[in-house]
Amino acid sequence: MSPKLKNTTSIHRFRLWPTLIVLTLLLLAASVTAALLGIAKIPSSQLLSSPIFLQLRLPRILLSILAGAALSVCGAAYQSVFRNPLTDPYVLGISSGASLGASLAILFGLQSHIWGIGLCALATALITVWIVYRIASIGNRLHTTTLLLTGVCLTFLITAVISFIMVLRQDKMDSIIFWTMGSFASASWFDIAVVAPVVLIGICVVLYFAKDLNLLLAGSETAKSLGVEVEKVKRILLFFTTLMIAFVVSSCGVIGFVGLVVPHCLRLILGPDNRRVVPCSILGGALFVLLCDTLARTVLQPSELPVGSLTALVGAPMFIYLLYKNKKKY
Amino acid sequence: MSNLETHNLSLRFGNNDVLSDVSLSVEAGGFYAVMGPNGCGKTTLLRCLCGLLEPSSGHVSIMNRDVRSYSARQLAQTVSVVRQHASTDLEFSAFEIVLMGRNPYQHRLENESQSDWDIVEDVMRMTNTWHLRNSKPNQMSGGELQRVMLARALAQQTPIMLLDEPTSNLDISHQYEIMSLLQDFNLKQNKTILIVVHDLNLAYRYCPELILLYDHKLLYQGPIQDGLTPSRISSVFNVKASISDGNIITSSFLQRPTADI
Repeated sequence: MSPKLKNTTSIHRFRLWPTLIVLTLLLLAASVTAALLGIAKIPSSQLLSSPIFLQLRLPRILLSILAGAALSVCGAAYQSVFRNPLTDPYVLGISSGASLGASLAILFGLQSHIWGIGLCALATALITVWIVYRIASIGNRLHTTTLLLTGVCLTFLITAVISFIMVLRQDKMDSIIFWTMGSFASASWFDIAVVAPVVLIGICVVLYFAKDLNLLLAGSETAKSLGVEVEKVKRILLFFTTLMIAFVVSSCGVIGFVGLVVPHCLRLILGPDNRRVVPCSILGGALFVLLCDTLARTVLQPSELPVGSLTALVGAPMFIYLLYKNKKKY
Repeated sequence: MSNLETHNLSLRFGNNDVLSDVSLSVEAGGFYAVMGPNGCGKTTLLRCLCGLLEPSSGHVSIMNRDVRSYSARQLAQTVSVVRQHASTDLEFSAFEIVLMGRNPYQHRLENESQSDWDIVEDVMRMTNTWHLRNSKPNQMSGGELQRVMLARALAQQTPIMLLDEPTSNLDISHQYEIMSLLQDFNLKQNKTILIVVHDLNLAYRYCPELILLYDHKLLYQGPIQDGLTPSRISSVFNVKASISDGNIITSSFLQRPTADI
């Protein structure tokens, strides 16, 4: 083997593990900081026995980690399945679709059952995915503009329906912010117990198909002639990503742009290979959302910012930048 | 032994026949030129042969097995395809793109092995693309990208190769180079090759066999010398044709008006 070959291929191999280790360390540091920050000052020596830490901050930290990991992995998966760098669960309207089901479940009095909320969210999110996919794929090709516009319009439509539902139930008016901007304020151990297994399964499925995601980027026909069962793989991936989104949205509302920001930043370091991007997205997404949530609850104490507004502050400019960068293509 | 067969293959898009009643049989180790005027169904035929399109009626069999009974993975180990248009928006390097050709032999969670890398280096050197290994598709010329796509198909190491105008973007010396390379693979490794070409002389020089389509039907299948007769060329392609010293010389029926526009 020529030394140059070693060089080409080892660049990428070298970068996966160091990136994972750095991200893990950063995530640990961010978690400790988040645990210590807050209105109630807890001395670090009593942290582990403090009920504020155990019942409020720790579940909140864990839920933001789970949500961040799930959303950015879904973003990475969608960008390959739809062959479009601008897609993520929020832009495609799938998060909103999930929030519709969740708020309908609450309207009909299911609010004490996160499983019930989650399954209703899953049903409406799956319908949304189906609509987006059908409208966007005319003939055999996915049309980028149609795809994005469909997602945006569905978000408008669903937000309108949800605000209507909220007016019907005036006592729950507050939560419109929750469903459009997201919040981890109500995180509980019960949420973790439900969301964690769903997210873990979903992430494992996406990791399992990481190589197929690379081939899907080359186009459906090419992927098929290189041995990918394209339709089957797409269906499995869309189902499990939607499942993750449904349960994340049921527990913390709609948080946008995570799936756009994180995989893109990682691709700058790691290149396009999903076998590197997806694993790092787990940690990167967790870190990003945890930081946003910690900022959201500490910058304007005692009031709290919606976490989705912070992710949008980073994500929306990035979306516009990507649109600008890709404008020749579309 | 026949490697690839179609029986009464027909394909309809709406009310338009794209292929009608094509029955052909491709021998193992044959090197076939697929020819015909624009829009006569060459690309569609190739896409049916590799299972990407489901025919409206009739069927395709590969190695005496119906193409629908293959899994995507088995099919990718049997037939490789070079498509007419390659997408240029991939962020992967040429090396990674060619490495994708090894996918049908890898388990899902397995990384590429040393032998995969060696095969990739081999085929990239053969197609004269090794120096491009770190370039991305949008940094390459059309011809370079076509050669990278050919390298990926070669990396699949399949007994059958289907190529849709792989020489269309190449300069004349690369056209000869690619055709000789394919000829080599055909003779030494007994690969079955079907190639869509427009250049009559290129086909005449390199491909012993001809599949000629005209008006969505199979017009001729057999040795190219018997197939490309001046009279047939002139009726199919609507040009004047003559053959001398193994060269096909064509000219237009239309007399261009002298330049006084």
